[in-house]
Order: sequence, then C-alpha cells, then structure tokens
Amino acid sequence: MVQAVLQQSVSGFYTDLVTRPTGRAVRENIERDLPPGTIAVMDFTGVGCLDYSCADEIVAKLVRDKVKMLLLRGLTDAHREAIEPVLAGAGLAVLCERPDGALEGLGASEPAPALLDELVERRLAARNPGGSIRLTAA
Amino acid sequence: MTRLIEVPTQFDDRSFDQFAASYAQAVDGERLLFDAHAAEWASPYGLVGLLAAGEAAARKGERPLLTAPANPDVVSYWARAGFFREAADLFEVHGKVPKVKVAVESEVRAAEDVHAVVSTIQQRASAILSSELGLDPKATMGFAMALSESCQNIVEHAGTGGWVAVQAYNWRRKLARRVVVIAVADAGVGFRHSLEPTQAKRFGERWGDAAALEAALIQGVSRFRDPGRGQGLAGIRRYLARWEGKVAIRSGSARIAIVPRWDDDVPLRDGLPAFPGSQVLLIIPEQEAK
Repeated sequence: MVQAVLQQSVSGFYTDLVTRPTGRAVRENIERDLPPGTIAVMDFTGVGCLDYSCADEIVAKLVRDKVKMLLLRGLTDAHREAIEPVLAGAGLAVLCERPDGALEGLGASEPAPALLDELVERRLAARNPGGSIRLTAA
Repeated sequence: MTRLIEVPTQFDDRSFDQFAASYAQAVDGERLLFDAHAAEWASPYGLVGLLAAGEAAARKGERPLLTAPANPDVVSYWARAGFFREAADLFEVHGKVPKVKVAVESEVRAAEDVHAVVSTIQQRASAILSSELGLDPKATMGFAMALSESCQNIVEHAGTGGWVAVQAYNWRRKLARRVVVIAVADAGVGFRHSLEPTQAKRFGERWGDAAALEAALIQGVSRFRDPGRGQGLAGIRRYLARWEGKVAIRSGSARIAIVPRWDDDVPLRDGLPAFPGSQVLLIIPEQEAK
C-alpha cells in the first residue's frame, strides 16, 4: 500500500502524494524491499492528491530504473491524470487494474501491449472470452 | 533616508507593474515605507507580492515600514487573509490592525509546507470549485495538483521562501463570473537566474527574463537535467486549458501569460520594471452553462 509507505516517509499525517522530496522518500522506501527486475504491484487506495512531481519521482523512476513491470491498482481518475502524461512523456508504460479487474496500459501506447502479453505468457494473467485480460487467481 | 512606495488603491496583477516601478527606484541602504493607507482592495496576487517586496527590502537594508490600510473593512480583510500574520515578521507595521484567526495565506519554505497547504486548502477549495464554480468534482484534484506544483516552484527554484494565497470571489469587473485565484510569490532568484546555467547558451543573445519564462512555461524546461523534470508547469497548463483558466508568471522584468478567450492580457511582455523573484497567478473561472 502506497499510503502506508507515505506515512512512514513523511512527518505528520498526510494522504497526499505531493512534492519531489516526498516522492523520493516514498520511492526509496519501496526500493529497499524490491529486487531489481521484478514485477511489482502498487496499491494507491487511500492516496488523496498525486501531483506530477510525485508521479515522476515514484512511478516513472521505478519503471525506468528498478522494476521490470509495474502494476498499479486503486487508482482514481485524478491519479491517472497525473501518471499518464509523465509516463507518456518518457515513453514508458505501466499496467493498471481497473475496479472490474481488467488490466490496461497506462502511459505511452507502444510498450503497453508487450507488458500485457508478457503477463499472459507467464500465466500471471489470462485473456477472457470478452477479450479483456485479468490477473489469474495465483 | 526613507523612500515612499505607494501600494495601489486597487492592488492586483494589473496594477502590480506600477508598484514594481516604484519599488525598482529604491537604492540599497534606503529604508522603504510601503504606504497602503489608501488601499481599497487587494487581490491575493497583490498581497503575496507585497510580502515578497517586504522580504526583498529587508534583505537589502533596514526593516521596511508598512502603513496599514485606513479603511476598517480593507484592513479587516487583509487580516482575515492572514496578511498581517506574515507581514509582522517582515515589516514594522503602522496603523490599526485587528486580531483575527482566519488565515488564507501560507508561507512556503519546504516540502512539508506544501503538504500542509495542499491538505488545508484542498478541503476548502473542493466545495467552492464544484458547488460555486460548476467544475466537475474530479477537477478538485487537478486543482490540488496545480496548487502543489505552484508551491514547489518556490521550494525548488526560488532559493528562499515564499507565500501562497487562494481565494474565491466574484469577478464582476472583468468576467461577471466567480473565480478561484491562486497567487504565489517569492523574492528569490527568479526564473532567469534559476535556468541560466542550463539554458542561457541555447538562447544566446535572446537570453533574459522573457526567454527564461518562455523556456519554463512554453517549452517545459527545468534547471535540472533529470529527464522527468519540468512536469509541473506543463501540468498546470493542461489543467487550466481544460477549465478555461489563466496562468501568468512575472519574473524579473518580464511577464508571460497563457491567455484564455475571456481575457485580453498580453501573452509576453518584456522590459517591465524589475522586481525580485517570481509571482505566479492562476485563475479558474466559473464554468458557463452549456
């Protein structure tokens, strides 16, 4: 849960992921327990405002420098609005899980299909008859 | 020697250049007296700009003097806006100032201050944005983002602290609609100085305050070489474009604005009276019924 990491990373109780120093602190906390090249899941449930600086500092930098693939859940429309241009501008993409469980790409349009294909190949996700892709129970 | 600097009676971004011209005439070592006794109205931009002037003046010489507005309604409004709470640290204030608790203006010096501003103002602003301005409730988060990124410009680029003020009011004179205004001001190094090490060469002879503002707001460049930088102002522009808002930034002797169709401001002005730091103005208007 990103919000729990936020509470460990800044003094005072805040639900907003704003400012670069906060983003850096949260990312460094996350990275500490994350082996390079992994597929990581981040849950944004409970996070209020996410600004562009934090979206870049956390999401874009994790994708660029640390993880093989990032799956986001618990995103609001406002979170998406902050993350999407930051990733698109850097030619990066993540996957996000919609409230109905379907996975979709967020960010640059080019890398997203390959990310979905890889999840399916690894049997971490499966294509449904309707065409949507969802995580498998495991 | 004390130099008198008159605060315009209607003190906003339009009359700011008149104020800056008077400020620019001061020479080092002079004590400045900011005379606001005749002030009838001040926008958030005027108030945070006055604080920035106070800080810059104090840095250059003796603690400046400030004459508070004589009109009891005006002085009460300035007090409720939190102006005198911040001014007490910068000016020797003269005149009758009421003691009130409500504060709209906030000082921003570090990232923690941005957290506090976003958290406090977002709650109050969201009701105003959706119920009074007719914005989609989803727009309130975008507002918080714009607020956060504006404040971060101070923390990351000014090299000093600054102030942010947010206010909603009925802008009868210009728009005949309600607006929410975010004003951010600092007396720091300004955009030109901040961007000079990375951008001056690229612009060559054109380099100056106007080119620096153009680079930051239009081209989204940052003083940091980190590839993800420069997102803040670009995000603010996107948000305001969606809600027909306006952004204007004054720094040094130039001013740049993204002008919506309801306004007749000039997109880029150079050769203005020099003023320290940067002053940012964001205006989000009430949405017209479709």
